[in-house]
Formats: sequence, structure tokens, C-alpha cells
Amino acid sequence: MTDVMAKSEPEALEESLPAVQRGLPWWANQRFGLVVVITGLVVLFSTLRPSFLNVDLTLVPMQADLSVFVVVGLAQLSVLSLGHMNLAVGRMAALSAFAAGLTYDRLDAPLFVGLLVALVAGALVGAVAGLIITATGISSFVVTLALDFGLLGLVSLLYAGFTDGVAFSVHPAGMDTLRFDNMSDYCSGSVCGPPIPLVVPFALVAMLAVGILFRLSRVGREILMTGSSLRTARLSGIPVNRRILQAHALSGLLCGLAGWLLAMNNGAFSATLGEQFLLPSFLAPVLGGTLLAGGAVSVLGTVLGSTLTTVIQKGLNLLQFQFDQLQILIGGVLLIALSLDRVRHVIAERRGVRT
Amino acid sequence: MSATRVEEARPPAVTTLVHRVGRTEALLFALALIATITLIITTHGNLLHSDTIRAVLQYLAVPIVIGLAQMVVLAVGQMSLSVGVLTGLSAVVSAGLMVDHGVTPWLAVPGALLIGALAGLINGLLVVATRINGFIVTLATMTIISGLRYGVHGTGTYDGYAPGLVKFGRASILGLPTVFLVAVAVAIAVAWFFRRSVAGRQLLASGGNPLAARLSGISNDRSVVLAHALSGLLAGVAGVLVLMLSGSVNASIGDDLLLPSFAAPIIGGVALVGGAVSVLGTCLAAYVVRLVDVAQAQYNINPRWVDLVVGGVVLGAVMLSQSKDGTDET
Repeated sequence: MTDVMAKSEPEALEESLPAVQRGLPWWANQRFGLVVVITGLVVLFSTLRPSFLNVDLTLVPMQADLSVFVVVGLAQLSVLSLGHMNLAVGRMAALSAFAAGLTYDRLDAPLFVGLLVALVAGALVGAVAGLIITATGISSFVVTLALDFGLLGLVSLLYAGFTDGVAFSVHPAGMDTLRFDNMSDYCSGSVCGPPIPLVVPFALVAMLAVGILFRLSRVGREILMTGSSLRTARLSGIPVNRRILQAHALSGLLCGLAGWLLAMNNGAFSATLGEQFLLPSFLAPVLGGTLLAGGAVSVLGTVLGSTLTTVIQKGLNLLQFQFDQLQILIGGVLLIALSLDRVRHVIAERRGVRT
Repeated sequence: MSATRVEEARPPAVTTLVHRVGRTEALLFALALIATITLIITTHGNLLHSDTIRAVLQYLAVPIVIGLAQMVVLAVGQMSLSVGVLTGLSAVVSAGLMVDHGVTPWLAVPGALLIGALAGLINGLLVVATRINGFIVTLATMTIISGLRYGVHGTGTYDGYAPGLVKFGRASILGLPTVFLVAVAVAIAVAWFFRRSVAGRQLLASGGNPLAARLSGISNDRSVVLAHALSGLLAGVAGVLVLMLSGSVNASIGDDLLLPSFAAPIIGGVALVGGAVSVLGTCLAAYVVRLVDVAQAQYNINPRWVDLVVGGVVLGAVMLSQSKDGTDET
């Protein structure tokens, strides 16, 4: 039931002790390091290419991309809290987007009904994953991997069955507004809103909701306890199976939101939607200090982690790096960031011991 | 070739065939047999046609080797997301050497193996040096390697390299395709490695119980590095098999290998926690997954059903084997 792969390494065990984290000096905080790196990169990119700070060309599309990836990161974070993984994030998003697209296409539903359908579809698939995991005790890695296979086939079958090609071409009322407008298009008198795309508030709501869930709510705290020690949680009277199910359903729900947001950004509901979600979904929480071992999450870190990857991607794009060089650099930056984090952690720990 | 689990001391009285080869293998064998017979009957013997048999076995070679590449890292409780793209990289680089630089296949083929082993070695060293989880390290190196793979020749295709190699790859010996024989030889070598060699036993010991392994004087770090390097080498072998089989390679090779690489060992009864491997199980599982493809081709089913069915097969097989394991492991 637990993903032991992270825990089987002895060092993962010592990392997961929260007391070590609390005893560290402020500069060893991962979030602080991320802010420094992001700031440095923004300064670097905008000196090299002033158009990096161009509102319409860079900043607005970047925020739209970021909203999607933050939600994807949160979807992964929801199950990382248990020490589980969700390898089907992309395909869950694709299935939810299909459900929303079908609602728009066949029922002429209003925009928000489709969103609701996407969320429900995502939550249901996530719950199915959670149910299989709790009922059989198979590791979440295997279950979601198999689910990913299954959904890959299912989604393309569904698109083939319900559309002429590979996508719904339907445009519900309000979709284009959501896609092209940003808040500065809405003025009252001479005062206009900031240049923030209209999809950003959706991601903000998701961030707040997930943050509150894990910090303040009983269910969230119990999920984290289940993640840090299944046995202890069970002995403390926490309904662990229900919590595991809920965490996976939440992950599915957020995948649904991400799928819907991406469909809005792209202006189309297609079978290939979400294919590129897997890597960023892990990058964001892991860069932000969420452990694979479970029991601890950082929503703010996840936001910063996805900001870092988005900034790197946009910056290198502007510097006209080719796709292959981009891949190499992103992988390299990831490795360096994680190694530096490790170095900082070790140094901070030694100092902590000395003083 | 049975499920080798180090810490397990089997009672000597149990000598029935089923117990000797392990129950997952027996189950898989029965499944493979039933599925094959069903296919033969429902296709009116079409499956027994020598051309069909050759096609089935030819395209079984890469899944077997890539499954073994994943199995080797699973043995130490690690996983490698980079095996698929690494297969692509070694195939593309090797083809590039032959086409662009006129290197003979005698050098280009070992070159592909070397690239695989080196990349695997780097994976292992990074895991050991940084103490970052292997999943994350190989996720990062997967991104890097897929970039390198496109960097070699962009989206272009290499073909017309080493006609001798391709001819050899498509040839058959005693009705069995050479690539399949190569895969079987590799499987036997891997099985020997885990059963008989000291290094192989040490890998399993590290995977099964790192603390106990350390106390017995085994370096867990060395085991992790060795497992990743070996996995890379096997990915290189898979790359060579692709070269031999297809006759033209491009940068998209390996994209569809990641999921099958996990499917074969997991269905084959290899635990994600490490300490146990099953070469026979992995090979049988690769065959079962291959049969889904064959069935699709034989019945002219929409190819999109394949992924759906494979997903179901993975889950079903794991459920079957886990429910049985649950009794004696907990």
C-alpha cells in the first residue's frame, strides 16, 4: 500500500523527520532558495532579451501556462502527501477535458457546467485509482501506470467515437473570452485591471483550497499523517483507506481542472491534451521541497517550483534555443537545483549540530 | 531462472514443478499458453504460419530486453525512467556514426552499448552522489537524454546504414529470428548474473535489505551504481536490436518504450521494493503483452484497444499475483 521505494533508502528516512527541518536556519529553506534562483533568472533573461518583460508577448502567456502547471503540480502533490504517485495525471486531464468537451458539444451547456463535469469526471477517475489501491494493496505506482495505459486507449477511443476526428471543435460561450482576454481589458472609467489572464484566478482558488486543506482541515492533516506512517495513523483511529481514497480523488479533481484550463488556453478539446503533464507534475512539488516519501507537502513551494520551470522554459525559448537544447538544459537545471538543495541541507545540518 | 529472493529459504521438501519455478511464472505460463492456443484456434491456425511466428518473435525481442533493463534497477529497489529514451539515443548515435562518419558496424555496435552503459553509470553515480531519489534523477536524465537524442540528427531519419547488420537482424536461424535469439541469450546471461555471480547476489542483497547488506560488508552504493550501469547497457542492447530490425531510425525511437519497460517486470512478479527478480517472469510477461498486439493484428481490431487491454492485463496480473503473495509476505 505504501510506496516503499522512497523510504527504502535510509537517507529518505532522516529527510522525512520534520524536526530536522524545523531546526534549520532560515536560509536553508527551499522556498527561499527558489525565490533567489527565480529572481536571478528573471534578471538574467530580461537583460539578455528585454522582450522577456513584454506584457503581451511574454508575461501574459506565461501566466496562462503557469496556471495550468501549478494545478498539475498540485494534483501530484495531493498524492505525494501520502507517499503515493499519480502517473496518470495527463490522461486523467485528457479524460476530464473529453467529458467537458462532450457536454459542450452535445448539450450546449454553459461554460461552468462543463467545468463542473470535468471536475466530477476527474474526481471519479481519481477515486477509482484510490479504490483499487486500497482494495488490493498494490502500489500506487503500478495502479496509476496501468490506469495511464488504460486511459490512453480509452480517451482516443472516445474521441474516435464521438467526434469526426481527434478533437471537439465546439466553442462554448465565454471560452474565447477566457482564452484571449486579460484583466486589463476590463476598465471602470480610466482604471483598468492588471495584465493577468482570466484563467489565473482558477489556479489561485485551487492553491488556496489545497493549502487550507492540508494546513487547517482535519481531513488534510489526517492524509498527511497517513503519509508519514500508515501504521501509526491506523492505530490512532484514522480511517486510512478513506483518506487514501480522498487524496486520490482530489488528485483526479485537480487533473480535471488542469485539463479544462489547458483546453481553454488551447481553444480545443483534443485527445493529445495533457501528454506533457507528467514531468512538470513531479518537477514542481519536488523542486518546492515536497518529499516523495510522503507526510509533508508545500503548496507555496509547488507554485515556486512551477514558476521556476516556466521561467526557464520561456526564457530559453526567447533566447532561441532549439527544442533539444531546451530539454538538455531543463534536465540539467533540475539536477543542479536538487543537488544544491542537498548541499545546502547538509551544510545547514552540520551548523545546526555545532551550535 | 526462477524467482530468486535472497533472504528466502525455501523448505527443501517442496520440489513440485510449480513451486520450483515460482507461482507467478506458473500462472503467467498458463496464461500465455491459454492465450496462444485460443489465438491459434480462433485464427484457424494462421498463427502457426511461419511468417506469423517470425513476426511475433521478432517484435518480442526489444520488449524482453527493455523489460530486463528495468528489472535490473528494480532489483536494488530503484527505478529508471530513462531506459526508453536511452534505447533511442544509442540507436540514433550508432546509426549516425555509420551513416555520417562511415564507421563500420563492428565499431558502431559496441559504441551503442558503450553509450548505454555510460549513461546508466552516470545515472547511478548521480543517485549515489546526490542522494536524490532515483526516480527524480532518472526523470531529469530522461529529459536530458531525449534532448541529446534529438540533437544528433533533429527530426531526420537515418536509413541505409550497414546492410549486413540489417540483413543479419532480419534473418532466421532454424526458423527463429536472430534478434529473438539475441534477446534470449541476453535473458540467459542476466539470469546467470543474478543466480550465480557474486555481484548479482550482492545487488539482490542490497535491494532486499540494505541494512543487512551493509552489515554483511556489501557496499550498497556500489550495488546501485552497478545496477544502473547494467540497466543502461541493456538499454544499449535494445538500441542495437532496433537498429538490426528496423533498417531506419529516427529520434522518436524509445518514446513508447517506457511503459512497456515497467509492464514486463511488474506483471512478471518483480517487486518494486527490490530484492527479488524473475527473468522468466519478465520474458513471459513481455510475451503476454506482445500477444495483445498480435490479437489486434489478427482480428483487425482498432489499435487503440491495445493500450486499454494492456492496462487491464497489467492490473489484473498484478492483482492476481499480489493477492496470493499477501498471505506469506505480511
